[in-house]
Amino acid sequence: MEVTFALQRLAAYKPRQNRKSRETFDSGVVLLERGAYAAKGEAGWDELEKLALAALDQGNLQVADQCLKILADKFPDSPRVDVLTGIRMEATESPEVVLKYYDELLEEDSSRAAIWRRKAHVLRQMGKIDKAVEELSAMLDTFYTEVEGWVELADIYLTCQQYTYALQSLSHALLLSPQNPSYFLQFAETAYLAEDVALALKMFLQTVDMTDDDDGDMAPSDSIPSGITLRAWFGVKLCTRKLITEPRAASSSASQTAPPTTSNLSALDNLSTERLRTAYLDIKNESPPVAEGDLITALTVLVK
Amino acid sequence: MSSSTVSLYLDPQIRDWVLFPITVVMILVGILRHYVVLLLQSPPKKMPRKAIREQRALVRSQILRATSANSPLPPSYYKSISQYLSQAFADGTYLKDGPPKGDAPATAPPNPLTDPGAMEGMMAGMKTQMVMMVPQMIIMGWINFFFQGFVLIKLPFPLTLGFKSMLQRGVETPDMDVRWVSSLSWYFLNFFGLNGLYRLILGGENAADSSREMTTPFAAAAAAAPQPGQAQDYNKLFKAERDNLEFSEGLHSWVAQDVDTRILQKYGRLSADAK
Repeated sequence: MEVTFALQRLAAYKPRQNRKSRETFDSGVVLLERGAYAAKGEAGWDELEKLALAALDQGNLQVADQCLKILADKFPDSPRVDVLTGIRMEATESPEVVLKYYDELLEEDSSRAAIWRRKAHVLRQMGKIDKAVEELSAMLDTFYTEVEGWVELADIYLTCQQYTYALQSLSHALLLSPQNPSYFLQFAETAYLAEDVALALKMFLQTVDMTDDDDGDMAPSDSIPSGITLRAWFGVKLCTRKLITEPRAASSSASQTAPPTTSNLSALDNLSTERLRTAYLDIKNESPPVAEGDLITALTVLVK
Repeated sequence: MSSSTVSLYLDPQIRDWVLFPITVVMILVGILRHYVVLLLQSPPKKMPRKAIREQRALVRSQILRATSANSPLPPSYYKSISQYLSQAFADGTYLKDGPPKGDAPATAPPNPLTDPGAMEGMMAGMKTQMVMMVPQMIIMGWINFFFQGFVLIKLPFPLTLGFKSMLQRGVETPDMDVRWVSSLSWYFLNFFGLNGLYRLILGGENAADSSREMTTPFAAAAAAAPQPGQAQDYNKLFKAERDNLEFSEGLHSWVAQDVDTRILQKYGRLSADAK
């Protein structure tokens, strides 16, 4: 199980420069120079892999190569090292070379989901969106349980404004991990973009229901929404506003979701306004704008 | 029982040259066998992509069905996935060898003896069995040839007469005290009793202990057989899964169906009875 998880993490890797990878890198290099990794046993190899990724994040290829060499010597046939080598190649080699490398690996053993996903990733980087989608959906057809893969597929569809397809891929992610509110939020936001406002409203509310802290001592109405809950309330507000100002939007739901009754709708509208005001007051420490439109524009910055 | 008068004296040479050698040889053979089995074990065979797809298709529908009572998906999305799967199962899209031909007669399950993949699995099992059996037979022959009828050791505790056949195999004396153990019986005692020692030396999952295999060679073979040998008829499984899917579709209820009233109640904007 652990290996599968590690492979999934590698498959989803994207280079990014942040403080955390900087820290990993700084502390890791010292250990590497002293050759302390081999002495650490099992955990040491994991850390070496992390250091290699952090080094790639920081653009320090020399250290990455050093790590990779140690790992490749220690585990010559490991699928994890293969993926890591691929990630290292992505940093410098041309996409064609990397693709060829991945193709060779897949030729050898066609059942390697991690390699497959990286291949789709490279294709996407190259701008061959159609090929990337094709590869990714073929992979997901075989390895259905890769949640991250479904989310990535939805992300690709989103960038091409294919909201219906994005919703479909997200629905698989929801099925696979129905306990994760961020997928609900993503689904709701995508539904809003797809102009299925009634569906979006329900999903935003569901996210609120999942994330607001109702186990604490405070009554939910006294709590201050933050993070994902705030974002969901913001979505609720957008949806109710749209449903109230344009009643026609309610009937254009592609999923035939029934909008809430008129009384519920106005109550929700009031509630979400009140919630957003609370959050605004808490973050900015000044009284929120009175007009509804102003409040929404002011919060757009905060929610991002 | 004439335990008051010691009727038998054992030559210490028997202890040094028969009792200890038998025990040591059996331990060493067990350890050797452990490593031979490790050598013989081939790595698990990689499954081709198509086979994995076939195998995991059922998991897909199981995941879908498991969520149906409190589904995160609105009815239209649930239905589209459910119906897609049902259709795919009916058409055999997920079958390893492609959809079955309409007019072809239903083929019998493939004979495991002709399927090279299954054959290999059986051979591996046979090899392990051989490594288990052969050394035991050789040791038994060795003991029978050189030490037949030897009395090796006296147990420090009394036993009832029922143990006579167990402890004095190969020594046909009706009157001898049950506490005396014959060479062949010592072999059997070691054979069944060394497992604990192996576990100490080699760790929990060792292949040295042969008594497990030996006592139930047929049971072991029968338990091992279905995994490599018997090919499952996925077509039939898929057909059965379709009914389950249909059933779950009837049970489907969206978790966010009336989340609006729920939220309003939670935040005190709606009295509990005004539903």
